[in-house]
Amino acid sequence: MATKPHIDQRQRTKSNASPATSLPRVGAHPWPRRALVAAGAAATVDRLILALALVTGAALRLWQINSLGLNSDEAVYLGQAAAIAGDPVLSEFFPIFRAHPLLFQFILALAFPIGGTDGSDLVGRLVSVVVGLATVYLVYRAGARLYGRRAGAIAALFLALMPYHVVVTRQILLDGPMTLGATLSLYMVARFAATERPAWLYAAGAGMGLTFLAKETGIILLGAIYAFLALAPEIRFRLRDLALSTAIMALVIAPFPLSITLAGGGGSQRAHQYLVWQLFRRPNHEWTFYPSTVPLAIGPLLILTALLGLWLVRRRWSWREKLLVAWIVVPVLFFQSWPTKGFQYLLPIAPPLAILAAQAVIQLGQRAAASKIRRAGWLAPLMAGAIALTLLVPSWSRIQTSTSDRFLAGSGGVPGGREAGEWIRENTPEGARFMTVGPSMANIIQFYGHRQGKGLSVSPNPLHRNPSYEPILNPDLQLRSGELQYIVWDSFSAGRSPFFSEKLLSYARRYHGRIVHTESIPVAAPDGSVVQKPVIVIYEVRP
Amino acid sequence: MIGRRVFSTVSTLLACLALFIGLLPQRAARAAEPQPKTPIKHFIVLMQENHTFDNYFGTYPGADGIPEGVCMPVDPADPASECVEPFHIGNRPIEDLDHSTATALNQYNGGKMDGFIWALRLRNQEGSLAMGYYDGRDLPYYWNLVDQYVLFDRFFSSAIGGSVWNHMYWVAAQPGSEENRIPPEGYGDDVITIFDRLEERGISWKFYIQNYDPTITFRTMDQGGQRAAQVVWCPLLNFPRFIDNPELFSRIVPLDEYFTDLQNGTLPSVAYIVPSGASEHPPGSIRAGQRFVKSLIQALMRSDAWESSAFMVTYDDWGGWYDHVPPPKVDDYGYGFRVPAFLVSPYAKRGYIDHTELDFTSILKFIEENWGLEPLAERDARANSIINAFDFSQPPRPPVFIPEERVSEEQRPSPRRGVIYSAYGMGLVLAGSVIGWAALDSRRQRSADPVYPLRRLTRRRRRSMTKRSRGAPDE
Repeated sequence: MATKPHIDQRQRTKSNASPATSLPRVGAHPWPRRALVAAGAAATVDRLILALALVTGAALRLWQINSLGLNSDEAVYLGQAAAIAGDPVLSEFFPIFRAHPLLFQFILALAFPIGGTDGSDLVGRLVSVVVGLATVYLVYRAGARLYGRRAGAIAALFLALMPYHVVVTRQILLDGPMTLGATLSLYMVARFAATERPAWLYAAGAGMGLTFLAKETGIILLGAIYAFLALAPEIRFRLRDLALSTAIMALVIAPFPLSITLAGGGGSQRAHQYLVWQLFRRPNHEWTFYPSTVPLAIGPLLILTALLGLWLVRRRWSWREKLLVAWIVVPVLFFQSWPTKGFQYLLPIAPPLAILAAQAVIQLGQRAAASKIRRAGWLAPLMAGAIALTLLVPSWSRIQTSTSDRFLAGSGGVPGGREAGEWIRENTPEGARFMTVGPSMANIIQFYGHRQGKGLSVSPNPLHRNPSYEPILNPDLQLRSGELQYIVWDSFSAGRSPFFSEKLLSYARRYHGRIVHTESIPVAAPDGSVVQKPVIVIYEVRP
Repeated sequence: MIGRRVFSTVSTLLACLALFIGLLPQRAARAAEPQPKTPIKHFIVLMQENHTFDNYFGTYPGADGIPEGVCMPVDPADPASECVEPFHIGNRPIEDLDHSTATALNQYNGGKMDGFIWALRLRNQEGSLAMGYYDGRDLPYYWNLVDQYVLFDRFFSSAIGGSVWNHMYWVAAQPGSEENRIPPEGYGDDVITIFDRLEERGISWKFYIQNYDPTITFRTMDQGGQRAAQVVWCPLLNFPRFIDNPELFSRIVPLDEYFTDLQNGTLPSVAYIVPSGASEHPPGSIRAGQRFVKSLIQALMRSDAWESSAFMVTYDDWGGWYDHVPPPKVDDYGYGFRVPAFLVSPYAKRGYIDHTELDFTSILKFIEENWGLEPLAERDARANSIINAFDFSQPPRPPVFIPEERVSEEQRPSPRRGVIYSAYGMGLVLAGSVIGWAALDSRRQRSADPVYPLRRLTRRRRRSMTKRSRGAPDE
């Protein structure tokens, strides 16, 4: 079992490889000059597509990247990074240990000295962009390994332009690095399946470890790997190798439990509380949340093309399709049934979808060429171009500065948040405390304003709140006794929690709230004109 | 028609002129107000009640606090007497310890400072409570405040007695009368107060009283009920000339005006504040007192006046509590035992413990020096000023809202960052090594593959053919 018949593997690989990259038998007959030229030109085209993917991907991810300040999640992760880096100010507001493993925060901490406290948001987002582009390149490698270089290059282009991936990898979120780890693991599994070399299975274990360290929900993909191995009997493996791979994954994951146990600082207690909370928390979105948000962000045409591609090869599904489908279905089923839903949680399914769509484009192109229709050679480039365009347009739209007073968590920066925080830092006494509608704005105030913020909507019941947040047990008392001196209302939180928005404003009225600052953004009025609408209002309250 | 227009114009001009003339004296008065010699344009002083320095700051690090090994004899005359060591009061209930002049003298015991329990027992009190103390757990706001600003650890009450004398020293640098009580006829014109001096020089001042009832003065205090004590806290209510002169009487105002003055930018140059319910007078709540002080200081910090202000907090007398420093004898009345005192100002030295010997007349001394006033009496003429607590060479410090919670270093868990760096660094290295090893293994396998060199060869050939087909000359 240890040594494999290589010729079998090559045959299996070759039978599914695209003509663009498949090689004529060397030595069987002399290389025809025209074939060599065509193959060389095809390789150049592949490289050009990849370069286009990386350049447009970088442009989309960098365009106005820091025009809006951080959102709540970004503020938390960067705050954690600052705390790891030992920043004396931000570590007061952001404990190192919260809910997730710290691989990305650890990398951000290494980059933190470049931007310092004030420039860290830009540096952090640039790190995210690098992660996003690395994922694009890995998709190329994985696609090339599975269906040939042309498919890999087209898949890379799709991912580079995909609004879902563009939006998330412009932000300091854990899902971007998790997707990088997941794509790395996918690539390793593909290499293992192609070669049956156990070293790639071990590498896949290491990749899965990194995926977990980026965000613990990445462990779901372990189910995808096991499902794939179960559904693809043609892939032979030894249980010993699988166990060893799992052990390597466990070793790579070890920094998470080790650091919370050995580093002190209350990490272990918080991790335990967080687990309990996650297990018993109430759903935060309806079951229709993913169907209504994610397909639009991935690109409906891309999804349809991927499905079409799968349908075209329905009679001869190879391990490749099984691997990609398992990589998509397992996380979708899990997160659809899990009560906690987040816009960016399904990002790891984007790379396999892009590869499947690219494969479908290649398939259709081949079929059209085989049908001898006139100018059929243009079908694949046209399809790829059309899909790319349907991805590029919404991506471009999504990366423009938001003019909405509503906000979907994980979809970008918060308009006015940074400006409000900076105003707070410059105009309110150090040590001032702020009451906000929810913890999201409180996090932003803490990051940019360097003042403590507490969300009114944080439940006093420990079962109903994120253990990272402290509730305001008696807002009246705290306002009356001068422990809370400012109230911050924001339209984004108000849209999500109208009840607590009204409650907050009632406190502002009761304690002689005086508006000391307003952040407004231009929004489109019903008549089409652009008007300034207040999105963040800061009240000074006096008992 | 023309006549009406002329009339209207003239009327408007006259109205404007009248308005200008009406404003003129005020503007002139403001302009005439002497400028202070330091950047302190607003000096606010609050007098709380009945605690000693050791009772509040006896265990504050770096201060002249409770000495080690202290054990107060129950009966100082009996060498075999049992003794009581200082103890943390915490949440134990407390009572109002006797703080009459007689008790003070018995506790002082001729300078031996060993009668703190015995003197109270003479008053039918158990007495051990006098040895109790509070610390940062009970006084988090005050302790946090002095971490940032100035604590005076040799600040004595001016008289070895109770409230009346000490409040009088606070405003007039003299006891006012031989007895520690308000004379039935009030204080005469021979007792000059700091407010007389300020008034003479046209320097603005106000005396803010919490829950002020202007109908209660020394003349009506018998009908004042519980509110009658305001005449002790505000000695000006015992001066006929301050009560009978509407102009002067209008400067004695409810505390609410302090907040509106801060908001409106009309805070006077010198402001005296006395509390009512939140005075910390035992058995009153010390937490309520802290919140009260916090509200005053936070309001100042939020105002435009902050940058040119100083806020001083002190306590009128020792309240029967233990203090270990024998008060220096400066005259027949004082000094009394040490009391807590601290200063908050944008020019205050940071976290500084001032060991200068001070008393209530030191406050007067500062006001006199700052605004160029004559001393009121011998006491303030000889007193040390609180000026040493300031550092006017520094730019004004921005306001800082001091928290009401005191978190010690033990309570503030500080994670070992080295562990995080090592653990995650090792994780990355391990993953990288495994993946790198797999790549090497794959390359080794390809090298061993007999077909592989041919594949590399054809790849190179393919490249060269592509170049040639783009126009490179054929070989």
